[in-house]
Amino acid sequence: MGLVGLKVTMAGQPDAKPKGVNFNRDIRPILSDNCFACHGPDEKQRMVDLRLDTKEGAFADRGGYQVIVPGKASESRLYQRISSKDGATRMPPVGSERTLTEKQIEFIRQWIDEGADWQTHWAFNPPRRPDLPKVKDGAWPRNDIDYFVLSRLEREGLRPSHEADKTTLLRRVTLDLTGLPPTPSEIESFLADASKDAYEKRVEQLLESVHYGERMAMQWLDLGRYADSHGYHIDSLREMWHWRDWVIDAFNHNLPFDQFTIQQLAGDLIPNPTLQQRIATGFNRNHMINFEGGAIPEEYQTEYVVDRIEATSNVWLGLTMGCARCHDHKYDPIKQKDFYQFFAFFNTIPEKGLDGVKGNAAPLLQLPSPQQEQQLEELSQQIKAKQSALSEQKLDALQEEWQKTRLGTMPLPPKNGLLSNYEFDGHLADTSGNYQHAKLKKGEVTYSPGIIGKAVDLDGETHLEFGNKSVLEGSQAFSLALWFNTRLISVGSKGRAFLQQVDDSSDRRGFEVGLGDILKLPGMKRGAHLQVRLIHRWPDDSIQVQSKDPIVFEAWRHATISYDGSSKAAGLKLYVDGKPTAIEVIQDHLTGTTQTASPLEAGDKRVATPYKGLLDDVRIYDRSLTEGEAENLAIHQPIRAILAELADQPFKWSDVLKDSDPEEDQTELTKLTKEARAELELEAKRAKLTEYFLAYDAPQPIRQAYAELRDLKARKAELEESIPTTMVMEEMKKPRETFILGRGDYRNHGEKVSANVPSWLAPLPKGAPANRLGLAQWLVAPSHPLTARVAVNRYWQNYFGTGLVKTAEDFGSQGELPSHPELLDWMATEFIRTGWDIKAMQRLIVTSATYRQSSHVTKDLLEKDPENRLLARGPRFRMPAEMVRDNALAVSGLLNPDIGGPSVYPYQPKGLWEEMAFGEIFTGQSYTPGSGKDLYRRSMYTTWKRTVPPPALSTFDAPDREKCTARRARTNTPLQALVLLNDPTYVEAARALAQRVIEQAGNDPTKRINAAFSLATGRKPQPGELKVLLELAKQQQEDYRRKKELSQKLLGVGESKADPAVNVSELAAWTTVASTILNLDETITKE
Amino acid sequence: MDLKRELELALTRRQFFSRTSAGIGIAALGSLLNPELFALGTTPNSKTGGLPDLPHFAPKAKRVIFLHQSGAPSQIELFDYKPKLRKYHGTELPDSIRKGQRITGMTSGQSSLPVAAPIFKFEQGGKSGAYVSELLPHHTKIVDDICIIKTMNTEAINHDPAITFIQTGSQQPGRPSLGSWVSYGLGSDNQNLPAFVVLISQANALNPDQPLFSRLWGSGFLPSNHQGVKFRSSGDPVLYLSDPPGIDRAGRRRMLDSLEKLNHMKAEVFGDPEIDTRIAQYEMAYRMQTSVPELMDLSKEPPHIFDLYGPDSRKPGTYAANCLLARRLAERNVRFIQLYHRGWDQHGDLPRDIVLQCKGVDQASAALILDLKQRGMLDDTLVIWGGEFGRTVYCQGTLTETNYGRDHHPRCFTMWVAGGGLKRGVSVGETDDYCYNILQDPVHVHDLQATILHCLGVDHKRLTYKFQGRHFRLTDVAGEVVTKILV
Repeated sequence: MGLVGLKVTMAGQPDAKPKGVNFNRDIRPILSDNCFACHGPDEKQRMVDLRLDTKEGAFADRGGYQVIVPGKASESRLYQRISSKDGATRMPPVGSERTLTEKQIEFIRQWIDEGADWQTHWAFNPPRRPDLPKVKDGAWPRNDIDYFVLSRLEREGLRPSHEADKTTLLRRVTLDLTGLPPTPSEIESFLADASKDAYEKRVEQLLESVHYGERMAMQWLDLGRYADSHGYHIDSLREMWHWRDWVIDAFNHNLPFDQFTIQQLAGDLIPNPTLQQRIATGFNRNHMINFEGGAIPEEYQTEYVVDRIEATSNVWLGLTMGCARCHDHKYDPIKQKDFYQFFAFFNTIPEKGLDGVKGNAAPLLQLPSPQQEQQLEELSQQIKAKQSALSEQKLDALQEEWQKTRLGTMPLPPKNGLLSNYEFDGHLADTSGNYQHAKLKKGEVTYSPGIIGKAVDLDGETHLEFGNKSVLEGSQAFSLALWFNTRLISVGSKGRAFLQQVDDSSDRRGFEVGLGDILKLPGMKRGAHLQVRLIHRWPDDSIQVQSKDPIVFEAWRHATISYDGSSKAAGLKLYVDGKPTAIEVIQDHLTGTTQTASPLEAGDKRVATPYKGLLDDVRIYDRSLTEGEAENLAIHQPIRAILAELADQPFKWSDVLKDSDPEEDQTELTKLTKEARAELELEAKRAKLTEYFLAYDAPQPIRQAYAELRDLKARKAELEESIPTTMVMEEMKKPRETFILGRGDYRNHGEKVSANVPSWLAPLPKGAPANRLGLAQWLVAPSHPLTARVAVNRYWQNYFGTGLVKTAEDFGSQGELPSHPELLDWMATEFIRTGWDIKAMQRLIVTSATYRQSSHVTKDLLEKDPENRLLARGPRFRMPAEMVRDNALAVSGLLNPDIGGPSVYPYQPKGLWEEMAFGEIFTGQSYTPGSGKDLYRRSMYTTWKRTVPPPALSTFDAPDREKCTARRARTNTPLQALVLLNDPTYVEAARALAQRVIEQAGNDPTKRINAAFSLATGRKPQPGELKVLLELAKQQQEDYRRKKELSQKLLGVGESKADPAVNVSELAAWTTVASTILNLDETITKE
Repeated sequence: MDLKRELELALTRRQFFSRTSAGIGIAALGSLLNPELFALGTTPNSKTGGLPDLPHFAPKAKRVIFLHQSGAPSQIELFDYKPKLRKYHGTELPDSIRKGQRITGMTSGQSSLPVAAPIFKFEQGGKSGAYVSELLPHHTKIVDDICIIKTMNTEAINHDPAITFIQTGSQQPGRPSLGSWVSYGLGSDNQNLPAFVVLISQANALNPDQPLFSRLWGSGFLPSNHQGVKFRSSGDPVLYLSDPPGIDRAGRRRMLDSLEKLNHMKAEVFGDPEIDTRIAQYEMAYRMQTSVPELMDLSKEPPHIFDLYGPDSRKPGTYAANCLLARRLAERNVRFIQLYHRGWDQHGDLPRDIVLQCKGVDQASAALILDLKQRGMLDDTLVIWGGEFGRTVYCQGTLTETNYGRDHHPRCFTMWVAGGGLKRGVSVGETDDYCYNILQDPVHVHDLQATILHCLGVDHKRLTYKFQGRHFRLTDVAGEVVTKILV
């Protein structure tokens, strides 16, 4: 018996010796907690080769002596050592931070003297259906559960409490089965129903309610560590609500627990799985996912698998296998090898270690609407047709031929009017022949691979000065062309000039070309407007234009500025990547010269924010370039460079058409050798050539077909982007190998292992595959000792606040023993007998007499059984976080009862996400509250961001969902009071509740209070309570009548509008009365 | 508050204590109860709400201020003076130094790992003559009051696991934070404020990284009432602290009085002690509505204090203002005060950003020490300054004479600690000439954690919590108290 039992026993008979010691109940916990760490399953830690966790070890002949001599404590080395007065020989040793109490030593003495009966750990033996115990009060039990509870109470000399009154019971069971309070009409009809089975009938209706599935899902979301964000570092958003919908639906359709298990663990491995069965596997994709820059993929891929083991073993086995990650388990017989054999089940998912930047991480399932599905199908067919048509065109030969001859016919870059040309191929020379070389003024010059040859890499400190200037001015035609590739620059930071020749004076006379402020663009991209300025006097006497659309930063982009010298904005043309781009004119008023003595510069310069990034092939002309010339520079010249480089390289069309294999993407770029990188680069160049050939030079029908193909592919990509997805389990085609990891470290590969279940439990069922499907079948085999016990125990916890095994997550030898072991086994076998019927199990519990007891408690009982483990009374405890809020929304009438769908954004204090956020381009870094009906959805649909969980819910102990949670804390804190008093959700609910009762009950304050009180608590107030509230209402009304302005303010809280027909101060006063009622302990308590 | 009201409250309290058999004291309520203690049949320390057997021995420090520099400041620029680096500048980091250690994905693809010497000068300060960067001129004034640990080391090489490690003792999420362990073990000496308070300030550097996560001050498997309470510089200092618009103090008091009466009536009938606790928590919430704004209101601080902490201390939410707030929290005996200052992650543009960060942090950090000292509080307050790991001696990105960046370096970094029970004006540990490996006296993160608990009178091996069958502790299975720095 656990601590509580001891307490009861002790309280009953303070000095009595324990009667009839039971090994599993009394002795194993002492040995486990104090001895197993050094004399237990972990071989590496085992001292003097003594093992006390197995019968063989404990009773072994140790060469002349026995550690335990049954019947003779005084001759047993174990007893001698633990009772020794000598610090040097006493066990547990000094420094182990463990000590035995006198009582524990006495227990062990008695156990040995009574014959040292040994039992294997209770939870590892399959449950056996016990007979119903005999009870004295045969009239009390309503179903089999009650016999077990009553027999225990009778042993303890206690009586069960009387049945709770009807309203209390209705509210209790309605909250328990739907998470929502009963409506007034439901209460009324229940009270009016005098039939004997009125309660049972109501239970049936509740089990059929659509909200039943939501209530059951609430607990499962904690177990499944459901969240709407990835967690870890950047914690951007993901989309797993399809899985949440699946869970709700599974409960509502009463999917048997064995199926519920199989589909979530291995739905994808069921032959011909349905879409729903595959969605169900999201259970083991709900773990956190990381993409912190610089993190090592393998490290996190390992963590994901470990998380799956932790969740799976916690949820189905009630065991913490996690301990065996680094070494053999210290308390339970879980070997490190067991852990990695289990690991192997979950290690063969085609996932990347670092993923999730764009939302869901592979593997994922697209969930198109029927219409989208059809469109996709059509596009795929069309693409296929186009590809095969193209494939028949003997493109290989065509292109090979083209490649050989094209270089000779490729247009040269425009030479006419070229004043200077900076190729930056490892030098700053002007190669135009005009000797306008650039000079380094400050910092250092570095060169990086460029679009053609090398490029200059400006780090924001380097300062270059060019030899050319006079031409770039308002009264003269000129053109400037360049390639740029910016370094990642934070969103919102100031614009940057590529090149400028600007006066230091306040006039800022001169010329500038560069980028505007860095913007966040759709699709997780950044970009900026291309800007050009010709300035006589800043800012009014100038021409300032920019590209209408921002330019997306992706690798190299080309810009050509072509100007006719007209001193008008109309004379400026911008070409991006060789194509004319629309211009937005910001200023078009240039009256004077833009000539300046300052040279043309790049990089660091006091007058402009220095550009950071690469520049290549800067060209300056003394005339305006044509569109064709701009195209030539941007499109043809890079190809010309590639052609020159690859003239005699063979070409393979198939390289270009192939779709990338997601599993091949697994190869992390960081691991590539130099050769492999070069190979990749070469491939990219070939692809560029082909694209160019197909777009510009191939025979016309091919060009057209290719253009159409490209268009189709783009449309398909766009469509796919818009289709919702959900993360699922899948098997790799070539499974990853699994090794024992020394100390649990991903770098430390040991023995290779294959998937298997823990060796000390039953093996996989005959014929079951050694994969997740087999694992799931093993879990739900009727002989499995743990699965059913663990599941029914959690149901019990839902209703009574504490499981029969209090440590719902640990049924191992360190876990607490069941308060009612036989009841637990009876329920477990009943669960299996009914075909894992979840609803039947809920029905059984809530129709028991045990459940139906009143939750009043006497001082005596409280002292004897503070936690109500003996169940001499009904459950009474504060509702879970979600229900606290849902209850307020429901009683106020604000609740939006819609079921399922994407998560929503209710009110939240400003700045909570932002103050901890990262960067600007990721999702989930800033919080915008929703509006309208979304504000009043049930709390289980609130967006759950792991690193900043919803504050009003976490204040009431809702977990952050970083890990699987089997048992929530239940605290009682001042911060909870602040939420209920001041959170706009609750203030608005109070106003809505006030309005509701004013409209419903008319002018009579007593009626109003009665109505509000019954809505919130299910019952009418007592006269004393009524008096307090009437007095409050009266005072508040007087007060608000004097303070009109205050009334208005109070009624303005929340998005919903107050009924203008109700007097303002009246409504304000009653809002505070309603708020008081919503703050009652009873309102937030299930009793 | 009028007399009648006072009397009523007194009666309430008396009634309350007579009814709770476990006999909790009012201070225990103030510290946010340890409900699980009742469940275990243990009576918490009646003064603090902490564990009954704590402290294990006489504490030197009563409270902790942890100035976490999030993103990881470069020890090479700030504290660990390595004159020889000038000579090595631009040369490849020798394999004999790197010893094949893993490096992050951000530099593992770099073809070269050139040594970057810091471009900043170092100065000696105080009697101890400790070297401090010219970027931290105010620190030179406090070097004789602090203990500089140059040989901190950790196991993680990325921010998330590293900061989670230093704050919770584990790289992976799920464990209670340092502050929550302290709240759980030692409870609170304050009736009106939480035991564990968190303050956040944003970067001074242009690069604002890294992000923060609430798990860093979370309670893990400890009851959630031990999680840190964030005090914010804008909006409500504590979430939902202010009465809503349209409810004035008199109205609020009337509501609370009525609520209390109603809850009492309920308690009479049901006898559930949770109701009594709830009544007390509403009273504490009401007290917090006064005590927190009073705490956050810096307007009564004299000008010389603002001068001490620097001009930023007048701007709410800055590091300087938070340091000043930390002192005010310490004065009110808040047990654990955790600051986070973002912006130290200087992979690139280190020279630019470290200057900005230091400007934001230097004066106020030093001021906090001087201020605590002049109030006699440095003797029983433990102050900790530092990041989650160090930075590499080799350059990330392009190395130029004026610009460079540094990647994450777990193998050595510098933190300083001061006050309650620690030696002053000493430096611990020695790193090699490359500031890459530790030569002498390594201090692992678990060692630091053990030492912090030790100063608070707690044996880190004995402050445990049983969860999932295991007796967990902050320092996992490691950690040695750094006796060298104890007084």
